Amino acid sequence: MQTALQKAIALILSADRELMNILGTTARMTLMSSLLALLIGVPLGILLGSARFRARQALVVLNRTLMGMPPVVCGLLFYMLFSGVGPFRHLHALFTVRLMVLAQVVLITPIVIGSMETFAAGVAPQLRETARGLLFSRGKTFALLVNECVYPIFSTYLLGFSRAIAEVGAVAMVGGAIAWKTNVMTTAIMQYTNRGNFSLGIALGIILLGVSLVVNALFSLMQWRLSR
Amino acid sequence: MKTVPFTKSYGGATVLTMPSVELAPGTVTAVIGANGSGKSTLAKVLAGLEPADKKTRAELDARVGYLPQKSFAFRMSLQRNIALNGADEERMARITQALGLSALAKRSAKRLSGGETAKMALARLLMADYDVLILDEPTAAMDMESTLAAEQLITGACAETGCAVLLITHSLAQAERTAGRLLFLHRGRLIEQGETKRMLKDPKEPETKAFLEFYGA
Repeated sequence: MQTALQKAIALILSADRELMNILGTTARMTLMSSLLALLIGVPLGILLGSARFRARQALVVLNRTLMGMPPVVCGLLFYMLFSGVGPFRHLHALFTVRLMVLAQVVLITPIVIGSMETFAAGVAPQLRETARGLLFSRGKTFALLVNECVYPIFSTYLLGFSRAIAEVGAVAMVGGAIAWKTNVMTTAIMQYTNRGNFSLGIALGIILLGVSLVVNALFSLMQWRLSR
Repeated sequence: MKTVPFTKSYGGATVLTMPSVELAPGTVTAVIGANGSGKSTLAKVLAGLEPADKKTRAELDARVGYLPQKSFAFRMSLQRNIALNGADEERMARITQALGLSALAKRSAKRLSGGETAKMALARLLMADYDVLILDEPTAAMDMESTLAAEQLITGACAETGCAVLLITHSLAQAERTAGRLLFLHRGRLIEQGETKRMLKDPKEPETKAFLEFYGA
């Protein structure tokens, strides 16, 4: 184990080509999927939390159900849709990073919606009452509500980013963990550990934890500055 | 202007039954009563925040400014919060100075105390003109000095703009200081209304008498 750890550190310090490729693919997939989920999920979450309509509670329950979707089920669904016998086979999207991004967006967006919905539902009633008392328009009231959500958007993004970078089930199924193409940190750790190549697995594990730490620290700093 | 008679129920239970009352321009009408008597419900229905029963259009057909018991402090400075309702710098300076808020202008509204938030909320509301002002316990969280300053601003706005003010208050002293007319609510019903000084000195109804005796009027 000690030798594997030493080899892992050597791989990181030497910027091993395969390691760099895995990191690059992971960064591309994670950033794209988390940002897309944020763009789709934040306005939907704020709307769901602040609007009052009949089907609202049903939609909240549906979203919470989707939040708990097992990643492998999502992966299976996409596999069936985009495989050689699926309805979207003509798109040739299976075993590509873009399909991995799409699968992750489906997994992460309900989490983003749920996080924003919870926050918006907490502040919206009192905010709306105050705005109504000041005769603010609906547009102005919504803009003020979005302004209240700036701080939670950062923590929601962290949630989405963390989920995306750590996800393995769906990306393994739709990406295939193909070396030099669709292999990301989590699938590579699984793959190389199964083969007994602990050093690369450990190297990736160290980097994965390190990236999480740095991203969390950066966002915490941004949140602190915003709150001042 | 006269309000429309209405009832208001929650979950099948009627919490407020109101006849028509007069809200004269340029006058302050205070509403007093124990907790749960329907004062805040009256305020919300007249302001249009809550619908009356049986689709009665009970909200006032006028430009109504409403100050809830607990106002929201938006995520920006105190000054920007107040400016959301009007950009008249001279007006803002006068109001913030009267309420002792000038030194807090740049402070984040989220970092204000309860009393400071209440003052900010009132200042924000008074940045615009309304036909009717409905204020739900606007000075509950304020100290005595701020309360008196707030009362002066409210009565001043009333006199200058000719708006009608409906002031929900727990303070009989405040009602006496600011209001020409008084409404007494008890268990969801309007028991008595009339000139403030007369009602406080010589209430006609036994419920009003009992309430005033309990509160040491």
